[in-house]
Amino acid sequence: MKKCFLLFALSLIGCQPKAVTPATPTSEVKEISESMVRVNSTLQSWNIAQPWEKNPARQRRSLAAIVEQNQVITTAEMVADATLIEVESTDGAKRARATVACVDYEANLALLKIDDAKESADFFLGKTPLAMANNPALGDTVDVIQVEENGHSLFTSGQIRSADVRSTFLPGQSFLTFRVKASMQSSASSYSLPVLHAGKLAGILSSYDSKDQISDVIATPLISRFLMESQKPQYQGFPNLGVNIQSTDDPHFRKYLHLSEEVGGIFVSKVRKGSAADEAKVLPRDVILAIDDFPIDRRGYYQDPLYGRLPWMQLVRGNRSAGEVISLTVWREGKELSLPVTLSRQEEDSRLVPNYQFGKAPRFLIKGGMIFQEITRPLLEAFGDEWESRAPLSYLHVLSEPELYEKDHDRMICLSGVIPTQATVGYEGLRHMIVSKVNGKSVRNMRELIQALKQAPLGQRSHRIEFMDESIAIYLDDAVSDQIDAQLLQRGLQQLHRAD
Amino acid sequence: MHRFFLLVVATLAGALHAADLPQPVPVPSAQEMYRSVVRIEVATQTPNYATPWNAGRFSGGIGTGFLIGPNQFLTNAHVVSNGQRFLITIYGSPEKHPAKVEYIAHDCDLALLSVEDFSPFEKLPIFSIGQAVPALESQVRVIGYPIGGERLSVTRGVVSRIDFQPYSHSRADSHLVVQIDAAINPGNSGGPVLQNDSVIGVAFQGLTEADNTGYIIPTPVIQRFLKDIRDGRYDHYVDLGIAEFPLINPAMRAALSLPNKNIGVLVTNVTPTGSCDGVVKEGDVLIAIDDHPIDAAGAILIEGEKVNMHEVVERKFAGDPVKLGLIREGKEREVTATLKTLPPAKMYAIRYEEKPRYVVCAGLLFQPLDTNLFATASFRDVNVRRLYSDYVSKGLFQEFEDVVILTDILADELNSTLPSLKGKIVKTINGTKVTSLAQAHDLLFPEKSPEYLVIELLGVERPLVLPYAEIPAANERVSKNYQIKRLSNLKAQ
Repeated sequence: MKKCFLLFALSLIGCQPKAVTPATPTSEVKEISESMVRVNSTLQSWNIAQPWEKNPARQRRSLAAIVEQNQVITTAEMVADATLIEVESTDGAKRARATVACVDYEANLALLKIDDAKESADFFLGKTPLAMANNPALGDTVDVIQVEENGHSLFTSGQIRSADVRSTFLPGQSFLTFRVKASMQSSASSYSLPVLHAGKLAGILSSYDSKDQISDVIATPLISRFLMESQKPQYQGFPNLGVNIQSTDDPHFRKYLHLSEEVGGIFVSKVRKGSAADEAKVLPRDVILAIDDFPIDRRGYYQDPLYGRLPWMQLVRGNRSAGEVISLTVWREGKELSLPVTLSRQEEDSRLVPNYQFGKAPRFLIKGGMIFQEITRPLLEAFGDEWESRAPLSYLHVLSEPELYEKDHDRMICLSGVIPTQATVGYEGLRHMIVSKVNGKSVRNMRELIQALKQAPLGQRSHRIEFMDESIAIYLDDAVSDQIDAQLLQRGLQQLHRAD
Repeated sequence: MHRFFLLVVATLAGALHAADLPQPVPVPSAQEMYRSVVRIEVATQTPNYATPWNAGRFSGGIGTGFLIGPNQFLTNAHVVSNGQRFLITIYGSPEKHPAKVEYIAHDCDLALLSVEDFSPFEKLPIFSIGQAVPALESQVRVIGYPIGGERLSVTRGVVSRIDFQPYSHSRADSHLVVQIDAAINPGNSGGPVLQNDSVIGVAFQGLTEADNTGYIIPTPVIQRFLKDIRDGRYDHYVDLGIAEFPLINPAMRAALSLPNKNIGVLVTNVTPTGSCDGVVKEGDVLIAIDDHPIDAAGAILIEGEKVNMHEVVERKFAGDPVKLGLIREGKEREVTATLKTLPPAKMYAIRYEEKPRYVVCAGLLFQPLDTNLFATASFRDVNVRRLYSDYVSKGLFQEFEDVVILTDILADELNSTLPSLKGKIVKTINGTKVTSLAQAHDLLFPEKSPEYLVIELLGVERPLVLPYAEIPAANERVSKNYQIKRLSNLKAQ
């Protein structure tokens, strides 16, 4: 869904009968702008194709709620790759530079604070933090808050139509989301908006579809848990089970697995090494019948007491902290077993191919004009919208079968391209090759590569670089490449390598 | 198989030898010669790999051919590919003479046809095919029936480039090509290109993105084809079966201790079972081929012209030896490879005159991977694409006679609850690794069937399971609903 806050005509024709009555704010109007700030951020991502430089900066603006301890809650999208974040009172009178107190890119939530204590006290003077609402139920009315340029607040009431586990930011990262039907008008442009229930914070609107008048709202329980987690000395993020699952609604498959008609169950097709499920000895081909006391149906849904049928992930990810123990009922070889699972979280950075790299500059090395990079999802996505068919096959294979490479690598290093220089004569056509060895040794990560290419092995003039899938070794003259590197720095390259 | 060397090595820019060649009749006038350029009308039947059980598309086309000997009409392979009926017409005559294909070479896009009754053609002059490649900037005439016209068309052009280029008909082969600045249009295909009334090439392809560019198959390629078929069948081009990397970088040359400058290429891949398997190793530096020194970019000098080193092999036949000079572990040595064809390389060539192979079981359609299927199905699966690209270079054909793919699930009440998993490689059937379509067929239909048919697909983490008891009924329904008369075809011919 496109972020869409453009002007649109407000039409009453065809509205739901209930919505025809003028929206009566369920919260107190006069104070609400005192609990809001505008967030202005300047975002600048790295240029994946030329990792030593950044892309042009972009601006994003949002309306965000003030919460306890003089903090502001907004979406992670607002702070991803931010170089400057400013908070501004809704009347424009006060402004301060903010920093990220806590961010979860997966859950799409971020807490902002003002570092300087005095500045912070000044800025928040007279402001009222919003308390968290009790979890609203399906059908409850919530208010989407907008503040116009003149400081006037607008309330748009809408009904929570459904709840689902879906992604509001990163693909594949799904969390509890409300779908709210409300016909909003556009006022000041804003990337996200606070949503209230009975005057308390109940969600953050992350996208709005003006055609269907449906908004995606990051749900109350997720925000509450995020705020709770952010109080811990070390923010841990939301845990993962670490399994791939398949539905069991195919009757032949069910009979083959000897599943009775009374149970549901999801088929475990893969258990990620080192994950919570792996530690708890969950095996591929197990069928998960229940999580805690919630039976899981054939398609992976359970009956949530508040929000109806939700995908099983909600029982692990959105509602639990790392370290908590859940109980899995699994079907294995015709028997039911109960497995306690201590939930844990695998850091994105620990993955062979990380899904996102916000706030981290891409690692690279230029040696004599050869450009080495780590294979990450952003690198793959740089091959365009069709990257899944356009990216090199060897890279895509690493993405789809990381287990085959993880033993010897923290990251896969590739030769992403070659700058034509004196040292790379004859190598100009080389690109998109995965490095296997440098001077006879395999390299686990960028740091090891930089170390390995620092100077030629004893008694040798050149480095020997080998590649996976290609039985070719190329040689790079150490002295010549050092000269080239010095020239490249003179020609405006900011730096020749980055490993942290 | 041939063991002759070409007596006259074609020159790339040398003088023409047309005058030396025997002429069957006293030199006829141009008008008289044109009578031997015939119009070929072909009715084709092209299978559809998406529905391999169907007859395919009936269509047809017009091409050009010319008489090169008694009852020998030379044309392009693509003019007659997938043909079911061939009719030859003499210029200016309404009579259509039934013909048939004697030899067809898809890898160099040439074919030789004969007519059932040659008597109406007996008085026609016969074109002689030269040995030489025309010089750059020299003028040539293209004769044919472009855009389907009934009347002959003659265009003139100038030779603008002579190069090693892909032949688009098979999609997998490259040979010598002469580029001229006269447009070659559909229908021109198979027509003679003349210089001084001697054939110097066969018009065969154009460029879609450039005007006034035509490509012709030059005489060395034609002569090789004619020589190959002398034993009564067309074999195929032979190949060294190696990949090379140019040795231009000074650091690389120094590291490999290569003394003299600009000589030698690095061998980066040797195709298992190929001509050089066991003779050349990865990491060898090739420095000479049949005593021609190989430069650092992989070119050799023949008769004063720089050509790709593979040009030496282009003119040879299966069974011919080729002498290779190489440096291995610092020592120069000479080895001899015996050239042979590499049948698995057909994976990358479009197939013609073949009936697609397939097996349908319970609505599941299994097909072997080849370029026809690859072009039809546009596979997204990484495993399929990787296996396709590594099939020959990594020698995967030794393990897999066929890469069997589940290409479609024809909806039936038995399979409608299966997850949609098209375009995946079949890893195992009932626990046995699948290595060919015929074997997959036997595994799918065992003599004594277990309770369940269990199919594992590469990269898919759950097996596909169907009860054997219900499969025969499903096969009957699928066969009826989709009008599949035969649920499998295991032979291409």
